[in-house]
Amino acid sequence: MAAIEIRGLQHRYTEAEAVLDGIDLTLSDGEAHAVLGGSGAGKTTLLNLLAGLLQPRAGTIRFDGRDVTRLGGAGRNVAQVFQFPVLYPSLCVAGNIGFALGNRGWKKPAVRRRVAEVAGLLEIAPLLGRRPRSLSLYEKQLVAIARALARPDVAVVLLDEPLTAVEPATKWRLRRALKTIQQQLRLTMVYVTHDQSEALTFADRITMLHRGAALQTGTPSELYEAPSHTEVARFIGSPGMNLVESEVRGGQLCVGQKAIAPTGLSDGPCVTGFRPEWATIETGVAAVREGIPIAVDTVRPLGTEDGNPVGLVTASLDGKPVHVRQRLEKLQAGSAYLHLDPERLVTYRNEQLATHAG
Amino acid sequence: MRNDKAWLAVLPVVIVVAFTAIVPLMTVVNYSVQDIFDVDTRIFVGLDWYRETLRDPRFIDALLRQVLFSGLVLAIEVPLGIWIARAVPREGPATAAFLIVLAIPLLIPWNVVGTIWQIFARPDIGLLGAAVTAIGLSYNYTGSALDAWITLLLMDVWHWTSLVALLAFAGLASIPRACYQAAELDGANAWQVFRYVELPRLRAVLTIAVMLRLMDSLMIYTEPFVLTGGGPGNSTTFLSQYLTTMAVGQFDLGPAAAFSVLYFLLILLLCWLFYTSVMKGGADDR
Repeated sequence: MAAIEIRGLQHRYTEAEAVLDGIDLTLSDGEAHAVLGGSGAGKTTLLNLLAGLLQPRAGTIRFDGRDVTRLGGAGRNVAQVFQFPVLYPSLCVAGNIGFALGNRGWKKPAVRRRVAEVAGLLEIAPLLGRRPRSLSLYEKQLVAIARALARPDVAVVLLDEPLTAVEPATKWRLRRALKTIQQQLRLTMVYVTHDQSEALTFADRITMLHRGAALQTGTPSELYEAPSHTEVARFIGSPGMNLVESEVRGGQLCVGQKAIAPTGLSDGPCVTGFRPEWATIETGVAAVREGIPIAVDTVRPLGTEDGNPVGLVTASLDGKPVHVRQRLEKLQAGSAYLHLDPERLVTYRNEQLATHAG
Repeated sequence: MRNDKAWLAVLPVVIVVAFTAIVPLMTVVNYSVQDIFDVDTRIFVGLDWYRETLRDPRFIDALLRQVLFSGLVLAIEVPLGIWIARAVPREGPATAAFLIVLAIPLLIPWNVVGTIWQIFARPDIGLLGAAVTAIGLSYNYTGSALDAWITLLLMDVWHWTSLVALLAFAGLASIPRACYQAAELDGANAWQVFRYVELPRLRAVLTIAVMLRLMDSLMIYTEPFVLTGGGPGNSTTFLSQYLTTMAVGQFDLGPAAAFSVLYFLLILLLCWLFYTSVMKGGADDR
């Protein structure tokens, strides 16, 4: 396993538009790193550049300090798991797992031992003699993962949305197997996904890609609590962060004409962000004093929490939807008011994080 | 629930197949067990014509020639076709140009192919024949059996390799990029990429290609008829040509019918053998 250092990485398929524009990224040895982004963000391109399947236009990639930028896929000693299971149809499962070992000059008994070891780890030992054709999609992807894990000296294991082809019921099993093995073997893994919940549960750190730029790199909680860009704020969380137009007036942050909290920002418009669980919508007389008037549109029950019913409330603030996850007892008939927690607000100017409390 | 009315729906197909395949075939079988002199004079002879045909040295020779020809044609055209298909660029403007050029031989009528090669290979005025003669090789496909065979094989390879190449190309084009990328990361060499990435995924199209070439080459008639007329001697007389001589030239309807039935069974047997062996080998493989 290796530490990975990416500096100023750039790639374009046509002259007109850069797919990746100056990516800087450092992965420590044994880190599980997720690359998150929508379609067209450049995730797969970044992975192909890391694998050596593509050559970058500019920038360097170092594995443990060694410059590998100009090395091809075979020279870098990386392993990859693809979106759908890629196997050698005419080889049995054991042959598939040991394929890369044989190519690197391993002797047969050593290959057999290692294959048995990896198969044991993923609990697929009973499949070793079978042909890929007779396996389920889930089992095939497990074998593909086993092949990626077979080389003990591999620099990094790359995963390109490995759960896409697997049916939802078995997704979590595969994800857990991956995570367990990553922790057991201290593998450096790069996991590309468009699914933020996959990224948040799998990764030590996440990089959010958007239109070829890395918007933010940090731990899952950093990306959740203090997204550095409005795009990250929107993308992460289900539903994403609420972003409302607001204004700084005389050192006070005002949302919906109501002063919420003192702020160090200069006067002028800004965007205030808050997670659905950082706010409450209340009704009744007591709610009026501190609250921002808001119109409740729908309430979706989400079960109970400590015996109290909770739900996702969708409301309109100045005609824009706001989502709040809260206890439903606070919501009765009558005028509703939005209460924000001044300790947990983030503000944005020009889409960039300006301040965050807490 | 049983619904016998469903058979009515199948009836049109049964009728069409009966009149195009079963009735003519049974007619041939009927001829093959009789000695026919004229419309009213016919004698039942049992399996005599079959015995006679199987003992006919000309039939045996034609059969051996036929099998040798088909074997050689397959041995050359299948590997060559795959090789050509791999050389065609997978994408870009050149792809279409390659495919069109490859398709041209397939669009030429068979007797025209024979005529083209008959002229092309002539030692006096043909481009190929004259060129070979000019470099000092003795070459004459109308005089030497070996030269006739080489010319016939060349002609068939020229005419039909494209079919294998086009089918193989279609198979190759459907292989996802990720399969090649995985092999690259696994450190596979060029031979392994072919052996483990491409060949297993070409199995289905290659089966079809081999079947088509096997059946067609077993039935070859027009091209050798135009090119060599079965000569020199009988050295390029294949089954279909001998059969035509017998049935149309000499009007030996009984023996020709027995010959036809044997010929039909032979093609059926060879194709069945090939198909079942391929399907059995590939049962747990894909």
